[in-house]
Amino acid sequence: MAVNVRIPTPLRGLTNGADVVPAPAGTIDAVLKQLCGQFVGMEKRLFKQPGELNRFVNIYVNEEDIRFLQNLDTPIKDGDDVSIVPAIAGG
Amino acid sequence: MTLPETAAKISADESASVAETPGVSAASLGGLDTADPSSPPGDPSLARYNRQMLFAPIGVQGQKKLRKARVLLVGCGALGTVLANTLVRAGVGHFTIIDRDFIELNNLQRQVLFDQRDITDQLPKAIAAERKLSKINSEVKIEAIVGDVNHHNILQYAREKDLLLDGTDNFETRFLLNDAAIELNIPWIYGACLSAMGLAMVIRPGLTPCLRCIFETSPPPGMNPTCDTAGVLGPTVNLVASWQALEAIKLLTGNFAALNRGLFSFDLWDNRFQQLQVARAREIADCPACKHHRLEYLSGKFGSSTTTLCGRNAIQISPPPGQQVDFEHIATALQAVGQPGYNRFMLKCVIAEGHGATQKEYELTLFRDGRAIIKGVSDAAAAKALYAKYVGS
Repeated sequence: MAVNVRIPTPLRGLTNGADVVPAPAGTIDAVLKQLCGQFVGMEKRLFKQPGELNRFVNIYVNEEDIRFLQNLDTPIKDGDDVSIVPAIAGG
Repeated sequence: MTLPETAAKISADESASVAETPGVSAASLGGLDTADPSSPPGDPSLARYNRQMLFAPIGVQGQKKLRKARVLLVGCGALGTVLANTLVRAGVGHFTIIDRDFIELNNLQRQVLFDQRDITDQLPKAIAAERKLSKINSEVKIEAIVGDVNHHNILQYAREKDLLLDGTDNFETRFLLNDAAIELNIPWIYGACLSAMGLAMVIRPGLTPCLRCIFETSPPPGMNPTCDTAGVLGPTVNLVASWQALEAIKLLTGNFAALNRGLFSFDLWDNRFQQLQVARAREIADCPACKHHRLEYLSGKFGSSTTTLCGRNAIQISPPPGQQVDFEHIATALQAVGQPGYNRFMLKCVIAEGHGATQKEYELTLFRDGRAIIKGVSDAAAAKALYAKYVGS
């Protein structure tokens, strides 16, 4: 069992269409770093600069915003759900 | 050439029209069975809302509150048509619609109030919506405004409303709505969609986080796909807007305890629904808008006179407010480069520039207030140059 990272539609162009990407448990920082290493272009979409997420993307662990937990240091364990939720503009 | 004139019934001024059909009493709806035995007691003019009033949390009192309510809908496209359709049927008393756009064939897949005839007639969305809605429920006072919402005019439209609804297709207008809601202390309901995913949230200034507590900035242009590059499914739009409409009904009928307090997020294709926790965002986010009252969109600090329209390879140019353009004069001038046509709402002309392999075509749509949508161009400077050349700067 691992952590499931949910990839939203706007980022699936980078993950060859995958909507869920597995990652080992650890911290959010480690999970996102792995994701950025795995998929070209992901880092620019998620991070403003190293250690600082873009302010148009939120990360949730099991529906809780990591800003209310320990931000990038938030621990995650096997079975947790990590959701990347970007601002979208359609309507 | 003059476009088909189908606007004869619209009596108000050129850029705004107000349909105030006198209330139709239940008894005057000839042939319709309004004597429903399951009707709640009380005002017979509410009979048409019977099924809604039978829902206990609304009841007759809630219905009367809806009738008194004043709502502003900004944007009448995919989300907006579903919102307007649902809430006008539900009996919201005063419904103002503002939209800057006209109808295109690829809108009909999801924009439920429009049909092919509206395209033939070249109607602006706000006008076409008003015509449909006034046939659906003539008791509702519907005000349709063909125009762009910007920092110059939003307070004028939003003031004295009970609720603002987001039917927009861009970040800038949403952040502007957010600022206006904070400034006037009016609730608003955010909604957005893309492909099969949607986001929506009820925002009550002072009581809930605001949009900038959740997303402080918008992505830079071109970074995210839009409905025009990644597509959007009708059911996605319907779900987001129906969620917004239901929260609107809760708010307007005073059912505050029932309001959704999260960020509703879903992906219909992946069968995934989430209620993301946002209640604490107000304490944690160092929000420029609702915490520090720096209303950067309302003050005009952020925002521009040109807007890229949701990936349509089109740019909108908004001149300073208070302009009125003379279609006849401009059409005469445009005859040198194309075949302009106009009705009382807008002028259209396909302009061909260059020759042979280097020829480029642009489609200019000009509104009475001088606002233009130029299709076939993707950068703002080129759009401004075309505007200056053919409309005047």
